Amino acid sequence: MKSKSSLVVFALGISIAAPIAAVEPAPEAKSNTIPLELEKPAYATPWVRYKGWPEEKWNEYSTLSTLKPSLPANPMKIEGAIVGDPKKGEKLAFDRTRGGSCVACHVMGKPTPSMPGNVGPDLSAYATWGRSDEYTFNYIYDHRSTNPNTVMAPWGTHKLFSADEIKDIVAFLKTQNSPAEFKDKLENPATRPVPVETRDNLDPFLNEAMAAMEKGAELFVKDGASKKSCASCHADPEQKFKTWAATMPRNEPRLGKVMGVEEFVTRHARATTGEEYPLQSSQNLSLSIYLRYLANGQPINVDTNSQAHKEAIKRGTELLNRKLGQLNMSCVDCHTAERGGSKWIRGQWLGEFRGQLDHFPTWRTSRSEIWDIGKRFQWCNVSIRANELQPGAPEYGDLELALSALNNGLKISVPGIRH
Amino acid sequence: MADEMKMRATMQGDVADVKVRMTHIMETGLRKDAKTDKFIPAHFIDQIVATLNGKTVLDAQWGVAIAKNPFIGFRIKGAKPGDKIAISAVDNLGTKYGGETTVVAAK
Repeated sequence: MKSKSSLVVFALGISIAAPIAAVEPAPEAKSNTIPLELEKPAYATPWVRYKGWPEEKWNEYSTLSTLKPSLPANPMKIEGAIVGDPKKGEKLAFDRTRGGSCVACHVMGKPTPSMPGNVGPDLSAYATWGRSDEYTFNYIYDHRSTNPNTVMAPWGTHKLFSADEIKDIVAFLKTQNSPAEFKDKLENPATRPVPVETRDNLDPFLNEAMAAMEKGAELFVKDGASKKSCASCHADPEQKFKTWAATMPRNEPRLGKVMGVEEFVTRHARATTGEEYPLQSSQNLSLSIYLRYLANGQPINVDTNSQAHKEAIKRGTELLNRKLGQLNMSCVDCHTAERGGSKWIRGQWLGEFRGQLDHFPTWRTSRSEIWDIGKRFQWCNVSIRANELQPGAPEYGDLELALSALNNGLKISVPGIRH
Repeated sequence: MADEMKMRATMQGDVADVKVRMTHIMETGLRKDAKTDKFIPAHFIDQIVATLNGKTVLDAQWGVAIAKNPFIGFRIKGAKPGDKIAISAVDNLGTKYGGETTVVAAK
């Protein structure tokens, strides 16, 4: 780090000595002189959730920007056996519209639908465990009074199921008394092979996002409204941007927040070429992919030592641990091995933090769309039934920096390709 | 036409493996514009021909079931490095698209 900061001083020294360098600022220079538009939002206003995404709003529950109090319910006193309808309970347990069905995390007995997950314990012989009905009811209703860090959603307190419905689910669990049978090793989350991405993501015939990279290269040399292009100031981008993207995101003191490649493109283009490339526009994604593509093979190398970055990483780490949304889940609940990480949620593999960043923006074959890390964060929010924030929200900046710090050293390979 | 068509042909044994990626909206004519509630007019490639050194080796009729930005892959027996492969496509509005590439030896 010592030698790096002296390099920065050196680069600044040059720009002072040689006036010609003023129009060609070294991308490494951490200077307040980089032209940026600082007033307007970086996204197209008003922000509306993407087409095709769930339209529900979860205003009562915490988001990355707003804390909403959610207190664990006191365990309910229940004497004797619960009377419920196991058939109804089974239907509710497998209902995917109420936050994902029990099977998302638990193997159940014989009636288990296809591809159960294994974030939670196998419940196929639950009836033989000797748990009281009171215990089971309260565990489902709100387990936080016993374990404040539980990954289990507070199904009752957060209104995903009514008390009567939970009684039916208890009745169903009491029928689970024999191990699940799987017809093959793909069905069993314990033996299902971990997905490995082996496709060549830089092959334009495999990865449609490579076309966006080419589009980005074209935009780079295209004159904007100011009759200037990116290339007017940044000649030889292959050399100039060899490491830049690997050092993003960075704190931008003038905005008082952390900013990634995408927002930088928006604000820098407004201030220089005069073009409008708002976040999530195809032009923005194309240029962002191109700029990261130029840094392919470089290890992610975000600054973790400066005071501003230390503070942002601290904020980001707090956000990684914040319980969000109606499902009351945090990033660490699903993406650390101690909890749900490296396990199956239904048929989807939950990766851990390290390895989740080097390929963004990425081509999503399941959606035929390019997703940058910001959109990925938004989708994580919506998946746990928490309102997403607008693109470029400061909280996403802090998260991106904290996540980048956890991925430091991994090599960039953009555009990625994923399911 | 480089914008609309990207091609690659590589020898694999005695066959040339050809891959073509086209940029085309492939609009079916069955979708409605959410704002105007009017149907978006059909616009799709309906004919595609591949030639090897000028001789037709593939002639296909396409329809609306082909995805946006279509990809086609096929293999030509008897091709050799240096041969020219050309693609021409026409859409339902009569717009012509074309691309050409040279077969290269396997890497």
